[in-house]
Amino acid sequence: MDEDNKMKGWLKKGYHGLREQMDAPMEEEESEIDRKKRRFVVIVVFGVVMSFIAFLISISVSSGGVIPVSEAIGALFSAIGKANATPEQIASNPELYQMTTVELYIYQSRLPRTIAAIAVGAGLAIAGCMYQALIRNPLVDPYITGVSSGSGTFAIAIVALGISLPFLPNGSLYMIPLAAIVGGLIAFAVTMGVAEGSGGSATNYILAGTIVGFAFSSFQTIFLSMSQDNITNAMWWLFGSFANITWENAWLVFIPAIGISLISMVWAREFNLFMMGEDQAKQLGLNVVRFKRSMMIIASVLTAFCVAFCGIIGFVGLIIPHACRMALGSDHRLIMPASIVLGAMLMLFADLIARTVMSPMELPVGAITAMIGTPIFAYILMRKGREYNG
Amino acid sequence: MDDFLTVRDLRMRFDDHEALKGVSYTMGKGLLVGLIGPNGCGKSTMMKCISRIHDMTSGFISVDGNDVSTMKPAEVAKLVANVPAEAGQTFGMTVMDMVMLGRYPFVDRIWWETKEDERVVREALRTFGLDHLRRKPVSLLSSGERQRALIAKAYVQEPKLMLVDEPTSHLDMKYKLNVMEYLRKMARSDMTVLVAEHDISLMARYCDVCIIMKQGEIVTIGDPKEVITEDLIRDVYEVEARVGLDVDGEIYVLPKRYAGME
Repeated sequence: MDEDNKMKGWLKKGYHGLREQMDAPMEEEESEIDRKKRRFVVIVVFGVVMSFIAFLISISVSSGGVIPVSEAIGALFSAIGKANATPEQIASNPELYQMTTVELYIYQSRLPRTIAAIAVGAGLAIAGCMYQALIRNPLVDPYITGVSSGSGTFAIAIVALGISLPFLPNGSLYMIPLAAIVGGLIAFAVTMGVAEGSGGSATNYILAGTIVGFAFSSFQTIFLSMSQDNITNAMWWLFGSFANITWENAWLVFIPAIGISLISMVWAREFNLFMMGEDQAKQLGLNVVRFKRSMMIIASVLTAFCVAFCGIIGFVGLIIPHACRMALGSDHRLIMPASIVLGAMLMLFADLIARTVMSPMELPVGAITAMIGTPIFAYILMRKGREYNG
Repeated sequence: MDDFLTVRDLRMRFDDHEALKGVSYTMGKGLLVGLIGPNGCGKSTMMKCISRIHDMTSGFISVDGNDVSTMKPAEVAKLVANVPAEAGQTFGMTVMDMVMLGRYPFVDRIWWETKEDERVVREALRTFGLDHLRRKPVSLLSSGERQRALIAKAYVQEPKLMLVDEPTSHLDMKYKLNVMEYLRKMARSDMTVLVAEHDISLMARYCDVCIIMKQGEIVTIGDPKEVITEDLIRDVYEVEARVGLDVDGEIYVLPKRYAGME
């Protein structure tokens, strides 16, 4: 009877259940660490391959229609060649180095967008992962420390008040991003000041972040109501969009976001330790106060960079880390790289949909991330939710 | 050998509340020590001071001849382990992953543990009867299994002193005894184990020595059979209780009524 029930259990779980059963006698021999290392390699390989495929799809598909992938790659390489030609080469044969429409489209528009989407998706996902571990609260997202509200307030203020900075030309592409980064970091600094002043507990970080977020949001509302003439200028930023990404600023998102994301993985084991609570982490020899402070700063800087150029894109930072935890367990050596990969992919596809389905109109990418992500997440939650709770 | 653990004039102050008001005692090696006292008497605080989770306000603590306050946190972790009363929110962490966290002080490179760490962890899982559950999320274990997993996590730190905070508070009779048996086994294997616990009869049955505390001070220390009396219970807990000897010579404590309101 017991065997019978066991079998039913396996069958109910479908493929994974049967594999569990088949794997059972083998388990004894296998080292768990080797198993983890293998899973890590699988995640990295899968991530690189899938990102590459998503990348190819992203550059091939446009609002105008789909071109064959081979053509897209060809156009990409010839465009890169043309763009990097020396002035002498161009002077010798200007016709040859003139980009075709397709080349121009791929090189000037889709490629930088794609690069930025990868970086922002990865960055927001891993920032969310870090915050969730530090604060040990499943409802936490990268905007919990008020970064988004601070960024929003400053970005809208620039638009609304028509402020110009002496070292930047009027209407510069960098105006809003710069203001957003500064605003985000100021908001985080205030949050951190309040939270540390009240003892620095995880709950106090959430409370401080929430009230600071509210304060900045109300300024944001005031600036918005003052700027009714150029409100659309501000709107794309608040909803999140990659439409303003060009070659000049794509690298400014990509390098810091991917750089910080990869560096933060160094502390994956310390994040594991944090899951047991601060007392236990401290008892096991971690300098909890210093670790929490420095990781909060790293995650907030990362969030500020992600938000600066593309606006506030929600959902990714909240849901991707959870999906990874449910699928892979709680080891941050697996969750953090998986978050980077899944976050980048979700963002790539969301951007693809945002710029194609209603073309020539662009949809806010933040709305699309939630639309794709919710059903996937709901499915994982129903499958794994019971183990996850508590 | 008698001064394996030395605590001298330990004081701990939180803002305007003095949680420990000068606690002093010495303990030998290989003992199971029961820490008994009402809620808020400073049992947990004292254990947290010894394992350096709290930095004591003043005093001196030495474990196996090492002044704890001058040691690096990672070194303390290899000497003293602290078992919390609850695992808390574990986000789907597996038993193996949780126990492996106890090896943190031993891994001096980033990321992966060694084969040796894994061997120690598997051995501990077998010792505590958890090996077959090692891939199960901690949240799906029964309370008794979860408590054993927490003890296993402390055990792989290979400490000489183990501090256990209310290990049986959520357990039924069977697991209470089960956990206490494991703690006694560890004490017999040359580890000193300090347990804070509310079940006095259980403490009296298993512990070699009892430390009775009240309001941040030690009331008395000694063999549970000698120190646990009806007068002591009245003094410490403000409760009238019957303290008797069972037919097999073990002490039992039967609370009768609350006497503090008169």
